[in-house]
Amino acid sequence: MTQATKYEKPVPLKTLDNHPYWDAADRHELALQKCSDCKGYIHPPGPSCPSCGSPATEWENLGSDISATVYSYITSYRPFLPGFQHDLPTVITVAALDVAPEVKIMANIIGCPAEEVEIGMPLKMTWTDITPDRALPQWTPSRSQN
Amino acid sequence: MTTYANQCAIVGVGESERSRNSGTTPLHLALDAARNALRDAGLEARDLDGIMNYSTGGDSCTSHELATYLGSRPKYVKDISGGGSSTELLIADAVALIEAGELETVLIYRAMNGASGHQVGRGYDPDLLQGMLPGGSFVMPYGSASPSQWFGMFAMRHMHETGTTKEHLGHVCVSFYEHAQRNPKAFLHGKPLDMETYLATPDISTPFNIHDCCVELDEANALIVTSAGNAKNCKSRPVYIMGMAPRHTHSHAHYWTQVDEVASDHAAPALYQSAGVKPEDIDVAAIYDCFSWVVLRQLEAYGFAKRGEAGDFVKDGNLKMGGRLPSNTAGGMLSEGYTHGMNNVLELVRQLRHDYKGTDRQVKDCELGICTGWSGPDLAGAMILRN
Repeated sequence: MTQATKYEKPVPLKTLDNHPYWDAADRHELALQKCSDCKGYIHPPGPSCPSCGSPATEWENLGSDISATVYSYITSYRPFLPGFQHDLPTVITVAALDVAPEVKIMANIIGCPAEEVEIGMPLKMTWTDITPDRALPQWTPSRSQN
Repeated sequence: MTTYANQCAIVGVGESERSRNSGTTPLHLALDAARNALRDAGLEARDLDGIMNYSTGGDSCTSHELATYLGSRPKYVKDISGGGSSTELLIADAVALIEAGELETVLIYRAMNGASGHQVGRGYDPDLLQGMLPGGSFVMPYGSASPSQWFGMFAMRHMHETGTTKEHLGHVCVSFYEHAQRNPKAFLHGKPLDMETYLATPDISTPFNIHDCCVELDEANALIVTSAGNAKNCKSRPVYIMGMAPRHTHSHAHYWTQVDEVASDHAAPALYQSAGVKPEDIDVAAIYDCFSWVVLRQLEAYGFAKRGEAGDFVKDGNLKMGGRLPSNTAGGMLSEGYTHGMNNVLELVRQLRHDYKGTDRQVKDCELGICTGWSGPDLAGAMILRN
């Protein structure tokens, strides 16, 4: 392991309730938890459905072709966590999935100058390999993929 | 169900010194605040049979410790993990216990070395937060660790939907800073703010610059609740609790799915029903102000402005002295200091007692006051007080 490539930012913590999401992310895929009773998506994942309280939940794999729209975003000019001092300003968005707008997924917007980000902007999910065995879902403008 | 109906009153308020570096412990600060509240009420430590406090991440002393060194020997001590709506929630607990006949007189406090110790706005330990916060693993890896970022995300969407501008946020700050210039104990006394300076100040994290964020300090606050019967024998003028409403909504405070509803929207109708009054009856307010935008959203929630019109309501000077709803008249957490909401309650009590009568700090002839607590979009607690 070389110190030069050491990842300084927080690595997503896998837990009892969320690990299928992060396991899928490591494979560059999106998996979402779903309620087996009311059929609503549950994100972030949890021990039961926050809409109806049902403990019966399942996971759905949505694959790697994920599009979304900026619902809200902030631009931070100060690092609040280790590692972010290297990429200021940091843009953080919550984006509404095109296939299920009620699901909002938070990530940075990469590959786009902060001043060009706006609410309603179309995004595609991309994955950044942050350690040898972990990957982080991120958003990038869908136009840059064209 | 607890019936408030003026059966209990706040009879004492007090605070410690307020600074960036207390050089002492939260216990010392809490003792100073508690002794000042007892002195204000004309009560002795032994008169307290309940002591309660709220804290975050162990940043306070316990009620047990405070009771010990105050020389009080209460029946009941209670410490909760809480935030911006906990003052109101603990007062509700105190009223219920007093009404049930379990307790007579309860002291509630918040003590923290908010500047020299643990400081909320500077972020937390990332691994601790991921485990501690619901949904933390979905927030921390992206650099979002400060309440300014969590609430900013809400604010940006709400501003987009309603046309609320940065200048509207600035009017909240300018109004409260103006109040602070009449309060020699405000941390930003002597540091007035005008719109030009506000707009020229760079953002820390959009849409907030330093003026939009509360001033984190080392400080303790305390207040004393007792029955209306006991209140008549206290030294101070009683301020009665007319109504109260707590509410939980969103499943996640830091990771939300929509901004259309906040807990305050649900607390408001219950609050007015509980007190039997309407928004137009209110003379003076203490509105939770960890960030400027939070004030605007609560003005909408509690019926003082229609959705999207709160910015203009504030721009028109309505939160200033002589306005429709003078608010946070000691300067609020934006310019007096941040004690997790309690300092705004203390000021509301002093206004309703007419402590500032004869000065330009007094809201003339005020009788009814509202106090709104906001732990976040997910948790609210509010109360209505009268003299």
